[in-house]
Amino acid sequence: MGWDFKEVKLKQSIRINTMNEKKSLVISRLESLGVDLEKIPFLKNGFWIKRSNFSVGATAEYLLGLYSIQEAASQIPATLFNKLENKIVLDSCASPGGKTVQLANLMNNSSVIIALELKKRKMFALTNQLERCRVKNSAVYNMDARKVSKLNMNFDCVLLDVPCSGNPVSDRQWFNRRTSEDILRNSRRQRQILTEAVTVTKNNGEIVYTTCSLEPEENEFNIDWAIKTLNVKVENINCYGKKGLTKIFGKKLHPSIEKCKRIWPDVTQGFFLCKLKKVAQK
Amino acid sequence: MKIINDFVSQFDASISFDKTRIIKSGNRYYYLSRNLKENVPKGFFYIGEYLGTEKGESFFPSFILLEKIAETKANKIIIDKKTAWLFICGRDIFRKGIITGNSVKKGNFTLVLNENNECLGFGKLIMNLRGVPDSKEVAIKNILDLGDFLRREKRQSQKKYNRTAKKN
Repeated sequence: MGWDFKEVKLKQSIRINTMNEKKSLVISRLESLGVDLEKIPFLKNGFWIKRSNFSVGATAEYLLGLYSIQEAASQIPATLFNKLENKIVLDSCASPGGKTVQLANLMNNSSVIIALELKKRKMFALTNQLERCRVKNSAVYNMDARKVSKLNMNFDCVLLDVPCSGNPVSDRQWFNRRTSEDILRNSRRQRQILTEAVTVTKNNGEIVYTTCSLEPEENEFNIDWAIKTLNVKVENINCYGKKGLTKIFGKKLHPSIEKCKRIWPDVTQGFFLCKLKKVAQK
Repeated sequence: MKIINDFVSQFDASISFDKTRIIKSGNRYYYLSRNLKENVPKGFFYIGEYLGTEKGESFFPSFILLEKIAETKANKIIIDKKTAWLFICGRDIFRKGIITGNSVKKGNFTLVLNENNECLGFGKLIMNLRGVPDSKEVAIKNILDLGDFLRREKRQSQKKYNRTAKKN
């Protein structure tokens, strides 16, 4: 598909929460502690940890919510929306909350984010993160993303970082743990989540669909299905990554899927990104 | 609401909350922005700014509430860098680590701030601060510090581990 498997050792990365402190001040505070930072070229507030003699997850600055530890590729999805201020936003599969905090940051902690998480045991990490980062504009529900219409709300922007099969970079045991049936099961669930998300999105609203899977069944095939089945079209995105695949396993997919981005594991983990727009029904 | 005001008053402070925007869900209190109040349906697990939890007659504050108190003329002490690190590791505060403060009387509750005026938690004075500047004794008993965020996660994963061990 355009990538040969290789061992990738990820560098830890952080994202500065500029709603809580100026970026330059956080950088100088971390540097004064002896943390060696490297700007991630394709992210506005993202930095790789080049060297640190201690865990960056145990500094006063971290506990004060001045930055979050967030993998570089997963810092991209929230930045793909056009403009988030004054929008009603849905974060469908929110735990552990890194992207929810990032959305709050991009919204200047105003308006409303509805964050959903199905698993009760994951709610703790999510709410702990929101409290630590001083997020004020979120409401968290212990709810299946496939049932969000029960809230009777409509959203301007929907972030769908859907549960997926992951990839061998973030899970070393990936090849031992996954079967093709798992991938198909995930794909079916992702389509159900996507369908429900389109239902609750306002006309002309934006949906960002992402996975950290490299499997076409969970990415391009789902988007191809969505274009044909739901009232959506693929939008251009300008971010790090290669074009989405339009010819896979002998199948020819909708040409607009080229606008999606596929990030092959290298300086980040593997990732797939797609921005959809809900087309107004006639 | 009274339980929050009573807690705040222990720091010789008061906060004028818009009462209509404070809600209680279970035993937890939250402060909602106007947008949240107007747009969000019931049934949430967490919302807006978490203020703290009521357990019996006791109130366990959030760090968000402590920060709000720190914005007022409350009892505060400022501690040096090394003491700040030890404090968030759960240690009590020695007199010599205190740089300045408006809270001096034994028995007072006081917010603990670092040199950047950021609230790290709170404690209780267990000695009068006047007149003993170089004392190497504990001056402030740590009641709650920011390191609690990490300790909570550890407790949570310990619980999870115990549950798994029990099942097996």
